[in-house]
Amino acid sequence: MDRRTILEELKKVLYPYTENKELLQHIDDDTNLVKDLKINSANLVDIIIDAEAKYNIEIDFDSAEKIITVGNCIDAIAEKIK
Amino acid sequence: MNDPAPYPHPVASTGNDPVASTGIDIVDLAATDPQRTGNYRFYSRILSAEEVALYDAPVLGEQPFDKYVWLLWSIKESVYKYTSRTDNGLPFSPLTIPVLQLDPPSGDGFYKSMIIYGSEMLYSRSIITDRLIVTVVSSDENFDHTWWGFRSVDAAGYMAQSAAVRTFALGKLHSALSRADLKIEKTAAGCPVLLDGKELLDIPVSLAHHGHFVAYSYHLPADPLPLSSNNSLYRKSAAN
Repeated sequence: MDRRTILEELKKVLYPYTENKELLQHIDDDTNLVKDLKINSANLVDIIIDAEAKYNIEIDFDSAEKIITVGNCIDAIAEKIK
Repeated sequence: MNDPAPYPHPVASTGNDPVASTGIDIVDLAATDPQRTGNYRFYSRILSAEEVALYDAPVLGEQPFDKYVWLLWSIKESVYKYTSRTDNGLPFSPLTIPVLQLDPPSGDGFYKSMIIYGSEMLYSRSIITDRLIVTVVSSDENFDHTWWGFRSVDAAGYMAQSAAVRTFALGKLHSALSRADLKIEKTAAGCPVLLDGKELLDIPVSLAHHGHFVAYSYHLPADPLPLSSNNSLYRKSAAN
Protein backbone atom coordinates (compact mmCIF):
# COMPACT_ATOMS: atom_id res chain seq x y z
CA MET A 1 0.00 0.00 0.00
CA ASP A 2 1.59 3.29 -1.04
CA ARG A 3 1.67 6.45 1.05
CA ARG A 4 -1.03 8.13 -0.99
CA THR A 5 -3.44 5.28 -0.31
CA ILE A 6 -2.61 5.32 3.39
CA LEU A 7 -3.14 9.07 3.44
CA GLU A 8 -6.64 8.72 1.96
CA GLU A 9 -7.50 6.06 4.54
CA LEU A 10 -5.96 8.11 7.33
CA LYS A 11 -8.33 10.96 6.52
CA LYS A 12 -11.18 8.68 7.57
CA VAL A 13 -9.44 7.97 10.88
CA LEU A 14 -8.87 11.66 11.53
CA TYR A 15 -12.36 12.70 10.45
CA PRO A 16 -14.20 12.30 13.79
CA TYR A 17 -11.52 14.24 15.64
CA THR A 18 -11.16 17.10 13.18
CA GLU A 19 -13.58 19.91 13.74
CA ASN A 20 -13.05 21.65 10.41
CA LYS A 21 -13.50 18.73 8.02
CA GLU A 22 -12.49 20.87 5.06
CA LEU A 23 -8.93 20.97 6.36
CA LEU A 24 -8.63 17.24 5.73
CA GLN A 25 -8.82 17.79 1.98
CA HIS A 26 -5.49 19.58 2.02
CA ILE A 27 -3.40 17.60 4.47
CA ASP A 28 0.05 16.30 3.60
CA ASP A 29 3.06 14.83 5.39
CA ASP A 30 3.85 18.13 7.09
CA THR A 31 0.38 18.74 8.52
CA ASN A 32 0.62 18.95 12.31
CA LEU A 33 -2.26 17.13 13.98
CA VAL A 34 -2.62 19.56 16.87
CA LYS A 35 -1.45 22.87 15.45
CA ASP A 36 -2.87 22.59 11.93
CA LEU A 37 -5.89 20.32 12.30
CA LYS A 38 -6.69 21.61 15.80
CA ILE A 39 -7.13 18.10 17.09
CA ASN A 40 -7.24 18.09 20.87
CA SER A 41 -4.25 16.31 22.36
CA ALA A 42 -6.67 14.22 24.41
CA ASN A 43 -7.73 12.57 21.13
CA LEU A 44 -4.26 11.55 19.98
CA VAL A 45 -4.56 8.20 21.73
CA ASP A 46 -7.94 7.71 20.04
CA ILE A 47 -6.32 8.22 16.66
CA ILE A 48 -3.63 5.64 17.38
CA ILE A 49 -6.20 3.12 18.61
CA ASP A 50 -8.44 3.71 15.59
CA ALA A 51 -5.52 3.38 13.17
CA GLU A 52 -4.48 0.14 14.86
CA ALA A 53 -8.00 -1.22 14.50
CA LYS A 54 -8.35 -0.11 10.89
CA TYR A 55 -5.15 -1.81 9.76
CA ASN A 56 -5.13 -4.61 12.34
CA ILE A 57 -1.70 -3.55 13.48
CA GLU A 58 -0.07 -2.55 16.74
CA ILE A 59 1.82 0.72 16.76
CA ASP A 60 4.61 0.46 19.30
CA PHE A 61 5.13 3.11 21.95
CA ASP A 62 8.30 4.47 20.37
CA SER A 63 6.51 5.09 17.07
CA ALA A 64 3.44 6.45 18.80
CA GLU A 65 5.33 9.14 20.68
CA LYS A 66 6.75 10.42 17.39
CA ILE A 67 3.30 10.94 15.89
CA ILE A 68 3.08 14.69 15.58
CA THR A 69 2.36 15.09 11.89
CA VAL A 70 0.33 13.27 9.27
CA GLY A 71 3.62 12.04 7.83
CA ASN A 72 4.54 10.51 11.19
CA CYS A 73 1.18 8.67 11.18
CA ILE A 74 1.77 7.33 7.70
CA ASP A 75 5.29 6.25 8.65
CA ALA A 76 4.01 4.36 11.69
CA ILE A 77 1.30 2.60 9.67
CA ALA A 78 3.51 1.88 6.65
CA GLU A 79 6.16 0.35 8.89
CA LYS A 80 3.66 -2.18 10.21
CA ILE A 81 1.84 -3.17 7.02
CA LYS A 82 4.79 -3.54 4.68
CA MET B 1 -11.27 33.73 13.43
CA ASN B 2 -7.69 32.54 13.20
CA ASP B 3 -5.18 31.80 15.92
CA PRO B 4 -2.79 34.65 16.61
CA ALA B 5 0.37 34.47 14.55
CA PRO B 6 3.23 32.68 16.31
CA TYR B 7 5.36 35.00 18.38
CA PRO B 8 8.87 34.85 16.93
CA HIS B 9 10.95 34.98 20.09
CA PRO B 10 12.07 31.78 21.80
CA VAL B 11 11.35 31.32 25.47
CA ALA B 12 14.52 30.00 27.03
CA SER B 13 16.82 30.38 29.96
CA THR B 14 19.49 33.03 29.66
CA GLY B 15 21.38 32.11 32.80
CA ASN B 16 21.99 29.34 35.28
CA ASP B 17 18.87 29.97 37.29
CA PRO B 18 15.95 27.69 36.57
CA VAL B 19 13.30 29.31 34.40
CA ALA B 20 9.98 29.81 36.08
CA SER B 21 7.20 28.13 34.18
CA THR B 22 3.67 26.92 34.56
CA GLY B 23 1.50 24.24 33.04
CA ILE B 24 -2.22 23.55 33.19
CA ASP B 25 -4.59 21.06 31.63
CA ILE B 26 -8.32 20.50 31.82
CA VAL B 27 -10.42 17.51 30.81
CA ASP B 28 -14.13 17.80 30.09
CA LEU B 29 -15.35 14.39 31.20
CA ALA B 30 -18.41 14.64 28.95
CA ALA B 31 -16.02 14.67 26.01
CA THR B 32 -14.41 11.40 27.06
CA ASP B 33 -15.55 7.83 26.56
CA PRO B 34 -15.35 5.94 29.88
CA GLN B 35 -15.67 2.57 28.20
CA ARG B 36 -12.83 3.25 25.79
CA THR B 37 -10.72 4.85 28.52
CA GLY B 38 -11.05 1.69 30.57
CA ASN B 39 -9.82 -0.47 27.70
CA TYR B 40 -6.25 -1.69 28.17
CA ARG B 41 -5.30 -0.73 24.63
CA PHE B 42 -6.22 2.84 25.46
CA TYR B 43 -5.00 3.40 29.00
CA SER B 44 -1.76 1.49 28.44
CA ARG B 45 -0.77 4.35 26.12
CA ILE B 46 -1.00 6.71 29.08
CA LEU B 47 -0.32 4.71 32.26
CA SER B 48 2.66 2.54 33.11
CA ALA B 49 2.17 -0.70 35.03
CA GLU B 50 3.34 1.11 38.18
CA GLU B 51 0.74 3.81 37.66
CA VAL B 52 -2.01 1.23 37.14
CA ALA B 53 -0.94 -0.36 40.42
CA LEU B 54 -1.11 3.03 42.12
CA TYR B 55 -4.84 3.07 41.43
CA ASP B 56 -5.26 0.23 43.88
CA ALA B 57 -4.37 2.54 46.77
CA PRO B 58 -7.59 2.48 48.83
CA VAL B 59 -8.47 6.17 48.73
CA LEU B 60 -7.55 6.72 45.09
CA GLY B 61 -9.64 3.72 44.17
CA GLU B 62 -12.76 5.59 45.23
CA GLN B 63 -12.68 7.34 41.88
CA PRO B 64 -13.80 5.40 38.81
CA PHE B 65 -10.85 4.07 36.88
CA ASP B 66 -11.56 6.22 33.82
CA LYS B 67 -11.35 9.34 35.98
CA TYR B 68 -8.05 8.09 37.36
CA VAL B 69 -6.72 7.66 33.83
CA TRP B 70 -7.71 11.21 32.90
CA LEU B 71 -6.35 12.54 36.18
CA LEU B 72 -2.94 11.14 35.33
CA TRP B 73 -3.30 12.36 31.75
CA SER B 74 -3.94 15.88 33.00
CA ILE B 75 -0.94 15.71 35.34
CA LYS B 76 1.30 14.48 32.54
CA GLU B 77 0.00 17.02 30.04
CA SER B 78 0.55 19.82 32.57
CA VAL B 79 4.11 18.62 33.19
CA TYR B 80 4.66 18.52 29.44
CA LYS B 81 3.41 22.09 29.06
CA TYR B 82 5.60 23.21 31.95
CA THR B 83 8.76 21.65 30.54
CA SER B 84 8.13 22.31 26.86
CA ARG B 85 8.35 26.04 27.54
CA THR B 86 12.12 25.64 27.70
CA ASP B 87 12.46 22.55 25.55
CA ASN B 88 10.52 23.31 22.40
CA GLY B 89 11.37 20.06 20.65
CA LEU B 90 9.97 17.86 23.39
CA PRO B 91 7.33 15.38 22.19
CA PHE B 92 4.39 14.66 24.49
CA SER B 93 4.96 11.13 25.59
CA PRO B 94 2.77 10.30 28.61
CA LEU B 95 4.59 7.10 29.46
CA THR B 96 7.87 8.96 29.93
CA ILE B 97 6.36 11.19 32.62
CA PRO B 98 6.11 9.02 35.72
CA VAL B 99 3.52 9.70 38.41
CA LEU B 100 4.62 7.41 41.18
CA GLN B 101 3.02 9.14 44.12
CA LEU B 102 -0.44 10.65 44.34
CA ASP B 103 -2.13 11.91 47.47
CA PRO B 104 -5.89 12.27 47.83
CA PRO B 105 -7.42 15.54 49.04
CA SER B 106 -6.74 16.36 52.67
CA GLY B 107 -8.97 19.32 53.41
CA ASP B 108 -8.00 21.66 50.60
CA GLY B 109 -9.70 19.60 47.92
CA PHE B 110 -6.59 18.98 45.84
CA TYR B 111 -5.15 15.72 44.65
CA LYS B 112 -1.40 16.24 44.92
CA SER B 113 1.56 14.58 43.32
CA MET B 114 5.27 15.06 42.93
CA ILE B 115 6.85 14.30 39.58
CA ILE B 116 10.54 13.99 38.86
CA TYR B 117 10.97 14.57 35.15
CA GLY B 118 14.43 15.03 33.69
CA SER B 119 16.21 17.45 36.00
CA GLU B 120 12.95 18.97 37.25
CA MET B 121 11.12 18.20 40.47
CA LEU B 122 7.56 19.33 39.93
CA TYR B 123 4.39 19.38 42.00
CA SER B 124 0.83 19.08 40.80
CA ARG B 125 -2.54 20.00 42.22
CA SER B 126 -5.69 18.61 40.69
CA ILE B 127 -9.40 19.03 41.21
CA ILE B 128 -11.88 16.34 40.22
CA THR B 129 -15.57 17.06 39.92
CA ASP B 130 -18.41 15.20 38.27
CA ARG B 131 -17.80 17.21 35.12
CA LEU B 132 -14.10 17.92 34.87
CA ILE B 133 -10.55 17.28 35.92
CA VAL B 134 -8.11 20.18 36.08
CA THR B 135 -4.43 20.06 37.02
CA VAL B 136 -1.81 22.75 37.49
CA VAL B 137 1.92 22.13 37.85
CA SER B 138 4.61 24.18 39.55
CA SER B 139 8.20 23.75 40.69
CA ASP B 140 7.11 25.33 43.99
CA GLU B 141 5.47 22.89 46.36
CA ASN B 142 3.44 25.71 47.91
CA PHE B 143 2.34 27.21 44.58
CA ASP B 144 2.90 30.62 46.16
CA HIS B 145 3.30 32.47 42.88
CA THR B 146 1.09 30.36 40.67
CA TRP B 147 -2.35 31.71 39.85
CA TRP B 148 -4.89 29.65 38.03
CA GLY B 149 -8.54 29.37 37.27
CA PHE B 150 -11.07 27.49 35.22
CA ARG B 151 -14.61 27.97 34.10
CA SER B 152 -17.25 26.58 31.82
CA VAL B 153 -17.91 28.22 28.48
CA ASP B 154 -20.78 28.03 26.06
CA ALA B 155 -18.43 28.29 23.14
CA ALA B 156 -18.34 25.16 21.06
CA GLY B 157 -15.51 24.58 18.69
CA TYR B 158 -11.78 24.85 18.90
CA MET B 159 -11.36 28.41 17.72
CA ALA B 160 -14.16 29.77 19.88
CA GLN B 161 -12.72 28.02 22.93
CA SER B 162 -9.26 29.27 22.09
CA ALA B 163 -10.60 32.82 22.03
CA ALA B 164 -12.61 32.24 25.21
CA VAL B 165 -9.63 31.01 27.20
CA ARG B 166 -7.55 34.01 26.13
CA THR B 167 -10.30 36.38 27.16
CA PHE B 168 -10.61 34.60 30.49
CA ALA B 169 -6.87 34.65 31.20
CA LEU B 170 -6.38 38.23 30.05
CA GLY B 171 -9.24 39.37 32.23
CA LYS B 172 -7.43 38.01 35.27
CA LEU B 173 -4.06 39.31 34.13
CA HIS B 174 -5.48 42.80 33.56
CA SER B 175 -6.70 42.71 37.15
CA ALA B 176 -3.30 41.60 38.43
CA LEU B 177 -0.98 43.79 36.36
CA SER B 178 -0.90 47.47 35.61
CA ARG B 179 -0.45 46.96 31.92
CA ALA B 180 -2.57 48.50 29.22
CA ASP B 181 -2.15 46.37 26.14
CA LEU B 182 -1.89 42.79 27.27
CA LYS B 183 -2.24 40.04 24.76
CA ILE B 184 -1.36 36.37 24.54
CA GLU B 185 0.36 35.02 21.47
CA LYS B 186 2.10 31.78 20.71
CA THR B 187 5.67 30.94 19.83
CA ALA B 188 6.32 28.95 16.68
CA ALA B 189 6.47 25.90 18.96
CA GLY B 190 2.98 26.63 20.23
CA CYS B 191 3.96 27.96 23.65
CA PRO B 192 1.77 30.85 24.88
CA VAL B 193 3.58 34.06 25.77
CA LEU B 194 2.29 37.26 27.36
CA LEU B 195 2.97 40.60 25.73
CA ASP B 196 2.24 44.20 26.58
CA GLY B 197 2.08 45.75 23.16
CA LYS B 198 5.26 44.44 21.57
CA GLU B 199 7.06 43.89 24.87
CA LEU B 200 7.48 40.27 25.86
CA LEU B 201 6.69 39.94 29.55
CA ASP B 202 8.54 37.46 31.71
CA ILE B 203 5.32 35.96 33.01
CA PRO B 204 4.83 32.34 31.99
CA VAL B 205 1.27 31.58 30.94
CA SER B 206 -0.40 28.28 30.21
CA LEU B 207 -3.81 27.76 28.62
CA ALA B 208 -6.08 24.75 28.25
CA HIS B 209 -9.46 24.07 26.75
CA HIS B 210 -11.43 20.91 26.26
CA GLY B 211 -15.10 20.45 25.57
CA HIS B 212 -16.94 23.18 27.42
CA PHE B 213 -14.22 24.13 29.89
CA VAL B 214 -11.26 26.47 29.74
CA ALA B 215 -8.40 27.00 32.19
CA TYR B 216 -5.37 29.23 32.57
CA SER B 217 -2.37 29.48 34.85
CA TYR B 218 0.39 32.02 35.19
CA HIS B 219 3.43 32.49 37.37
CA LEU B 220 4.20 35.85 38.96
CA PRO B 221 7.41 36.62 40.83
CA ALA B 222 5.35 38.14 43.65
CA ASP B 223 1.74 37.96 44.69
CA PRO B 224 -0.43 40.27 42.65
CA LEU B 225 -3.51 41.99 43.96
CA PRO B 226 -6.15 39.54 45.10
CA LEU B 227 -8.48 38.51 42.35
CA SER B 228 -12.20 38.29 42.67
CA SER B 229 -14.00 35.17 41.61
CA ASN B 230 -16.94 36.89 39.91
CA ASN B 231 -18.78 34.31 37.83
CA SER B 232 -15.81 32.10 37.21
CA LEU B 233 -14.58 29.20 39.19
CA TYR B 234 -11.32 30.59 40.49
CA ARG B 235 -8.63 29.03 42.54
CA LYS B 236 -5.31 30.20 43.79
CA SER B 237 -3.63 27.13 44.98
CA ALA B 238 -1.88 28.74 47.95
CA ALA B 239 -4.05 29.49 50.94
CA ASN B 240 -5.63 32.90 50.61
